[in-house]
Amino acid sequence: MNCQRFETVVSELARGQMMAAEQRTEALAHSDACDDCAARLGDEQMLTLGLQSLAAELESLEAPREIEAKLLAAFRARDVVVPIKKGSSSRYWLAAIAAMLLIAISVVVFRWSNRPADEPRQATQNGRQEQPQPKQDVSNKSNDQLAQNAEKPSVDDSLPQPSKPKRIRPVSLRRPNNAAVANHATKEIATDFIPLSYMSAVSLQQEGGQIIRVQVPRSALANFGLPVNMDRYNEKVKADVLYGVDGMARAIRFVQ
Amino acid sequence: MKLKSDVNDNDLLRLMLAGDEDALSALYRRRQGSVYRFALQMSGSRSIAEDVTQEVFLFLMREGHVFDDSKGTVGAFLLGVARVHVRRRLRAEHRLEPLGDDSDDEDLFMQSATDVCPLEDLTRAETIESVRKAVLSLPPKYREVVVLCELQDVSYGETAEILGCAIGTVRSRLHRGRALLLAKLRPAEEVEETGAATVKSARCFA
Repeated sequence: MNCQRFETVVSELARGQMMAAEQRTEALAHSDACDDCAARLGDEQMLTLGLQSLAAELESLEAPREIEAKLLAAFRARDVVVPIKKGSSSRYWLAAIAAMLLIAISVVVFRWSNRPADEPRQATQNGRQEQPQPKQDVSNKSNDQLAQNAEKPSVDDSLPQPSKPKRIRPVSLRRPNNAAVANHATKEIATDFIPLSYMSAVSLQQEGGQIIRVQVPRSALANFGLPVNMDRYNEKVKADVLYGVDGMARAIRFVQ
Repeated sequence: MKLKSDVNDNDLLRLMLAGDEDALSALYRRRQGSVYRFALQMSGSRSIAEDVTQEVFLFLMREGHVFDDSKGTVGAFLLGVARVHVRRRLRAEHRLEPLGDDSDDEDLFMQSATDVCPLEDLTRAETIESVRKAVLSLPPKYREVVVLCELQDVSYGETAEILGCAIGTVRSRLHRGRALLLAKLRPAEEVEETGAATVKSARCFA
């Protein structure tokens, strides 16, 4: 052990604190060999004695008795004791009731804002009865109707846009079944299915198939004879592509 | 009251908060001494120590529910509250140096509290008084540790709980506080030689 290491343990040594026996032996051996460290240890021991004497002298000191009397008087008067349990529990109850009310109000508002009665009201505002959404399973459609739809999309672009866009639920690319699509379609405006150019309208009569939601460049509208807003030319537009059971894309409809 | 002496501090506190006056009395008698002595040794004023003792137990009556037995003992909690009140009182009376200001430490280190050499005979009453004054003249953060560890015989761990710091911090502050005390209690002629002694000590690597 050297003087620097001795300095780190000299206080503990003088105070008689617990330390490793080997460390204590080394420290004492060093103090025997080094006069300065021996003097340092002596000073620390004297200081410890002084502090112990001071502690012993103060040990018997206590607070005056009248303090206890004052405290007990205050305790009896109950002017300092807060009814902790009563106060805190009533606060919790108030908070719980407030939370319940908030939840109830939120549920009512949410259900009111999403009630289905909004749909016909919006349709009548446009001055015409809204056309029923096309069935997702197009296999029952006649060829004539499909051909007519191909030339004349059912969505009239001259119609004013709804002042408040309807909330469109985010959809996954692959629609799991027709029922889900039909439910989804009630909240969106879509064209009828337009046969793709390389498909005949007859092929749409096949049973089964799958509809997949995709995004296509807005310029694709022009390929099907639909008007394109040139200001939004670079934006994409949603579309549902109808695939047959053979995996071939048969028709497309555009969704707003 | 006899029954209350067998109850531990936590249960006494719980009973007291439930309105048991005997529990308050038992808890007060058990803990008032350490609170009062701590406040007295920190402030050097009996009036402050009395006020602080009263404030600590009034606080316990009002806010005793904040005590968390998982964080320490009731005794440590009371000493922690006492520490806050002592500091507040001393700050209000301009008896406390700015906290955390170590710049004055070196000046204090070079000061001598007395012209006599108390280390030669610490058993005398005058020397005890010198030690008391030297403790009172320590910077607060060192004084707290010296009072708790040396005069109140509180463990390092409990001191750390009271002060809200690490045990290593307690050790280092105690080491530093003792060094400051030694410097204050050392005779003036030895203080002049402190620099040379330090160099000599640093060169000794036996």
